Amino acid sequence: MTEAATAQELTITRTFDAPRELVWKAWTDPEHLARWWGPRGRSTPVESITIDLRPGGTFRVSSISDEHGDEMVTIGTFRELVEPERLVLDEAAEDSWHDGAESEVTLIELEDGRTEMRFRATIHTSQEMIGIAEVGITSGFDRLAEQLAAR
Amino acid sequence: MTTDQLTTTFAALADPTRRAILARLAQGEATVNELAEPFPITLQAVSKHVKVLERAGLIARGRSAQMRPSRLQGTGLKQAADWLAEYREFWDDRFDRLDDHLRDIQRGPRHD
Repeated sequence: MTEAATAQELTITRTFDAPRELVWKAWTDPEHLARWWGPRGRSTPVESITIDLRPGGTFRVSSISDEHGDEMVTIGTFRELVEPERLVLDEAAEDSWHDGAESEVTLIELEDGRTEMRFRATIHTSQEMIGIAEVGITSGFDRLAEQLAAR
Repeated sequence: MTTDQLTTTFAALADPTRRAILARLAQGEATVNELAEPFPITLQAVSKHVKVLERAGLIARGRSAQMRPSRLQGTGLKQAADWLAEYREFWDDRFDRLDDHLRDIQRGPRHD
């Protein structure tokens, strides 16, 4: 991780109409992951998934665009695994647009049998990405100016 | 922007050579030959990177058949700039699928 990296946090809470053990399985079993990892418009072949379910073990999922076949790989290491309630995954900066990210998944059993999932991602961004983003904002304005001028 | 496109954008930005190409284009448009200069890789490899960036909507290429200079494209880059919002959408979409999947497997007839 570079010195200039800054971190940003993203939290999402969802309630699923499923028992906690099943939600845990959905996160940790390749057969399940292949069915939802996606996102839409992408396929996740089960044979592309490697899960070594132990602290320090590897998590690798690849999703392939249905339209043009390009591949997006997520590679991480399990930092924490407490079945069936909590997992923490460290995503490597290598081969990624970010400078490292951590994803925390906490599963809470609700009284009605449903499961609350709390997802928290901390994403580190490099100075380089911030630079690209700044260019993006500026060239966005340039384009707007171009469009206005063309009218 | 669809999440597939979004993933394509993130995947395009995942490569250091491609990020360097974007940084070079921030200084002005350039042909593949010009872009290739600072890199110890083949013209063909650079051309491939340019195509990935183009597909991700991060750059656009001129129409002149010979040179086809590349330049940054505002819309795609703007989306990359808003990456945190985009990243949320990306995970939201993924969790919609997880929700569907959990419903499917519990609803399905089980004869085992």
